[in-house]
Amino acid sequence: METRGWKQLFLLFGLAAVLFLAACGSSGEAEETEGTASESEETSGAGNSDDALIVYTNSNSDGRGEWIVEEAEKAGFNIEIVGAGGGDVTNRLISEKANPVADVVFGLNHMFFEQLQAEDILIPYAPAWADEVEEGINDADSYYHGLVKQALILSYNPEFVKEADAPESYLELANDEAFKGIYQARDDLGSATAKVIVASILAQFADPEGELGISDEGWETIERYYANGVQIPEGEDYFTMFASGDAPIGTMISGELAAKMEQYDTEPAFIHPEVGTPQVVESIAIVNGTEQEEKAQEFVDWFGSSDVQGAFAAEFNAMPANKEAEGQITDFQSEIFADVKPQEIDWEFVTENIDAWVEKLELEIF
Amino acid sequence: MITFENITIKYDDFTAVENLNFEVKDGEFFTFLGPSGCGKTTTLRALVGLNYPTSGRILVNGKDITKLPTEKRDIKMVFQSYALFPTMTVFENIAFGPKVKKWKKQSIEGKVHEIASKVDLDVNQLQKKVSELSGGQQQRVAIARALVNEPSILVLDEPLSNLDAKLRVQLRNELKHLQKNVGITTIYVTHDQEEALTLSDRIAVFNKGKIEQIGTPDEIYEQSLSEFVCNFIGDNNQLTSLVSKYPDRFSLLNQTDFSKFYSRIERLKIIPESDSFDMASDEVMFEGEIIDFEYYGLYTKYSIMVEGTTLHAVSKEKLQKDMIENKKVKIILSQNDILQYK
Amino acid sequence: MNTLKSNWYRINPITVILSFFIVWFVFAFLIYPNVNTIYETFFGTGTFSLEPVEKLLRSDRAIGSILNSILLAFILVVTVNLVGVSLVLFTNYFDIKGANVLKISYFSTLVYGGVALNLGYKLVYGENGPITQFLLQLNPHWNDSWFSGLFAVAFVMTFACTSNHMLFLSSAMRSIDYQTIEAAKNLGASQFTILTKVVLPTLKPTLFALTILTFLTGLSATSAPLVFGGREFETITPMILTFANSSSSKDLATVLALVLGIVTIIVLTFMIRSEEKGNYISISKTKTSIVKQKINNKGLNVLVHIIAYVLFVIYSMPVLAIIIYSFTDSLAISSGMISLDSFTIDNYLLTFSSIEAIRPYLISLVYGFLGSFIVVAFCLLCAYLMKIHNNLLTRTLDYSLMIPWFLPSTLIAVGLSVTFNTGQWVVFNQVFTGTLWLLLFGYIIVHIPFTLRISKSAFFGVNQEVEDAAKNLGANAFYTFIKVILPIIMPTILGIFSLNFIGILPDYDLTVFLYHPLFEPLGITIMNATGNSASADTKALNLVYTVILMILNTLILTTVYGNWRFIRKRKRG
Repeated sequence: METRGWKQLFLLFGLAAVLFLAACGSSGEAEETEGTASESEETSGAGNSDDALIVYTNSNSDGRGEWIVEEAEKAGFNIEIVGAGGGDVTNRLISEKANPVADVVFGLNHMFFEQLQAEDILIPYAPAWADEVEEGINDADSYYHGLVKQALILSYNPEFVKEADAPESYLELANDEAFKGIYQARDDLGSATAKVIVASILAQFADPEGELGISDEGWETIERYYANGVQIPEGEDYFTMFASGDAPIGTMISGELAAKMEQYDTEPAFIHPEVGTPQVVESIAIVNGTEQEEKAQEFVDWFGSSDVQGAFAAEFNAMPANKEAEGQITDFQSEIFADVKPQEIDWEFVTENIDAWVEKLELEIF
Repeated sequence: MITFENITIKYDDFTAVENLNFEVKDGEFFTFLGPSGCGKTTTLRALVGLNYPTSGRILVNGKDITKLPTEKRDIKMVFQSYALFPTMTVFENIAFGPKVKKWKKQSIEGKVHEIASKVDLDVNQLQKKVSELSGGQQQRVAIARALVNEPSILVLDEPLSNLDAKLRVQLRNELKHLQKNVGITTIYVTHDQEEALTLSDRIAVFNKGKIEQIGTPDEIYEQSLSEFVCNFIGDNNQLTSLVSKYPDRFSLLNQTDFSKFYSRIERLKIIPESDSFDMASDEVMFEGEIIDFEYYGLYTKYSIMVEGTTLHAVSKEKLQKDMIENKKVKIILSQNDILQYK
Repeated sequence: MNTLKSNWYRINPITVILSFFIVWFVFAFLIYPNVNTIYETFFGTGTFSLEPVEKLLRSDRAIGSILNSILLAFILVVTVNLVGVSLVLFTNYFDIKGANVLKISYFSTLVYGGVALNLGYKLVYGENGPITQFLLQLNPHWNDSWFSGLFAVAFVMTFACTSNHMLFLSSAMRSIDYQTIEAAKNLGASQFTILTKVVLPTLKPTLFALTILTFLTGLSATSAPLVFGGREFETITPMILTFANSSSSKDLATVLALVLGIVTIIVLTFMIRSEEKGNYISISKTKTSIVKQKINNKGLNVLVHIIAYVLFVIYSMPVLAIIIYSFTDSLAISSGMISLDSFTIDNYLLTFSSIEAIRPYLISLVYGFLGSFIVVAFCLLCAYLMKIHNNLLTRTLDYSLMIPWFLPSTLIAVGLSVTFNTGQWVVFNQVFTGTLWLLLFGYIIVHIPFTLRISKSAFFGVNQEVEDAAKNLGANAFYTFIKVILPIIMPTILGIFSLNFIGILPDYDLTVFLYHPLFEPLGITIMNATGNSASADTKALNLVYTVILMILNTLILTTVYGNWRFIRKRKRG
């Protein structure tokens, strides 16, 4: 009886191992990378030698990753995409600081990039297309450069909220009891979206005398904002709640809006606050310690170019930061961005304080 | 008085016990004896109420208890594994029954101590875990646990089978004394003939789900009614070939009705070949030679080759050395001691 | 003293080498990285600072979360044991009609857990779920988000955390000597008395171990409070995760984790003490196997049947919901309304749109196999050493191996990746960050405590005489171990092996920090496909992954352990 148990165990293992190898062998590229991986274990773990370029990103879902790999291959780049959430990618990069695996990172917004830069994880490089990007987006010291613009647009679901009843800004949501319980106040502060919303609200109350640079009124406002808003439970999608009317006022992300609208057959109506709508830019940078710096630079040059960004924008309905790619922008995106007035946010001030704000929110306000 | 009436117990297709009819008298030490798988434990469990007969009735003092659940019967059992509760102390084990019956705390304590001293368990041992006791002590706890309930019938299922030889003999004696003192009707299951013979007032010999014979130990031993009983109990000499070789010399036997002949080995006398012996009319004598012997201290067991048959005999006195070397002996046997079977 | 001396020269060189290996492993991978993290917290700025502690003490939310976690742990200890014991009684002790069908649903928690399980309960009890709809029909004023807060969390976790009861309490139940039950019956005990005075006390040691596990599970509950707790019932681990992800707040995470650790240590010490008191040694040499008890009291029998079947429904509904909804479109999933044309297999097609889609499964299977195999082997070795040498060293080892229980896996992962991204002298200047090894170490480390506890109890359950007999017949310690002891404890070992395996497959919390970027395990794939940044049909995909995982887990369980014939033969033999 017992030997039977063992046999089955080994059988299972054998099967798993065979399948594993078969799967790796099925694509030549995977086989190669496996070779490097085992080699790198023996050496220091750092070397990706002259093979694939390792690219970390939070922007690989819904076929984006596959599209990029394919296009890169056509252009002669052998890249390997490693995807995870923005916070996770950042943490990974920080923990791998002494022995970096990645060569290039893209897709994170500038708050994450500021953090990475502060941790000395990036090396500066000015790509060929740097000048084609809208002003004020690229890092002044050339550590990271913008690829895709995202507007975080306060919206309401006209099926549930009348135009006349719609709020005018985040501040009104917080201050008017009428909105209690019908707007989304995202508390997943690990996510970039929630952080940007917090920054958008708090930045309006900057006060050098106040706690963490924010006036008392600011803290009271954001406390009310969270107290009256609806939180998205784990495993729920914000758009589901938006579409179902459970919380029909919330923040839409311009880049994923088209897909969501199609999926849920819901058309949000946008709100354009007087202060403007917060915008973030997904950027690209080269990781400090890469052994293929030259190749990484070539890749960055290629990926940020107007051709590639334009094609990407057309394929995935995104808003490129590269002005030369304008021709490829979908009507959908142009319409959104035509109406949106960017909010003036002092990002330097925000990145300096955002962690402390988050900590205060988590500990004292939630 | 316990009465078994036409008891049959079946499991699916298998008939474990078939049409049993017998009685056990009050105060009797009654033993079910037989090899394993003969149905003795099944019968016992039916009496205790741990299984129910397929047909037939069990009466205790004229009252039908066949369908009564075990907890309602005044019959307590000592299990083969003792089935002591491993999570309880010795005291808790013994006090289990009284507690269930909600006796007063003080009377429980008194009674437990009384029974404990009866089975030779001291106060210290009462507070121990059962796993800290030796096998013999565990067995005594098991008996005390049953006896403390003052049952009218005590039932023991091979209680000595897990113990070493010396302890078995000692506990066997204790058990007998205990039963005599308490005077309780006791049903005892064993496959050990020596236990059965020494302990019992009466024995029922089981074979393949049936009772072959019921009787006092000496009846069972000396007048075994069947070849099975004869073979199961005691050591025998197979005489069939001798009888058929010399039918005339066994004139007192009923050779027409019976074809198998045995005698108990202690009935065989041996004398040196040279000695003369006055034979009684019922006795027969053969000559043979000693081929082997085993020395037991109390007695010596000899193997003697007689006319191509190996016979065994025991003798309290050690034979002279020269006689063993000499090897030739005479054996004498009374025809009245020969058991005959079809 | 004498015995000690005589023991010394008998120690064989292999044992010495193995002992050194264990000591090194424990120091290098359990103590060093974690101490490193803690050191950074309090001495990060160069001087000892209690600032993080002060910050937390000022926060009502932090204090509330800690108290909630402890409250939840205590509630679960009661409810999980209650339900778990009931399940085991219904399947192994009482004669319940249809017990075999019941068993399948009771075992369902083995094949899905965490986020997937919560999703199932949400589908059933959530705002659009059938239960809520039913309640709304009964009472139109019923609050449709009734299923939240402490009640909901405790409810879900009560039914989610009974897997170990089903596995380990059942086997304890099967090893009861049936003669003791008959004896009690014969002594006049009622069925109730037999159950409470004879059967349950025998299960006490196993129940103790399970209680510890349940308490720890409650204390570190993450996903259920996140999904069902809402604002009014927050627990500590999600907070730790938030802070661990922010580089400037990592110290807060560590302090909170330390609080968890201290509570755990207190509870464990208390439990281990009472565990020793509650232990007993089975003395039955000739055991008879247990026979299911028919409940005599008619009314009670009906009641027990009703409870058994209510539990059956509770356990089955989330599983069925997951399977059914995985075949529907996103509208049906979000609205709860299913019509005939809601059914589709698009979700499955989407999941397997490319061949590459099975690669993560294979990677996780290999990790799962290697990880659980090594951790089981390692823990068996440690447990064996603890059994034959009970001294200060092995007792220290026992406590050291519990370290992963004191810290949430996220912190362990952070500790590992930060510590081993430069060459450390303890590992001979090897760098592990960015290699395949690190994740394997991570999986091994977090599964050590549970595996060790189970291995230990399995070992101590082996009759010493059997071991002596083998040695007496000339077998050396190793041979005895492989040929005699291992087969005896094999069912338990296979059980723990499969549990670890199943636990590793969908893991995200630990994996995300440690995986080799080129070898993406399943947990990462699922999260990427279903996470917030993905705009595709996230819930539908989640359901599909859950169904596939359930199938995979069932396969693993039946192949490795739960193979019905295997269990049945065991029972008889």
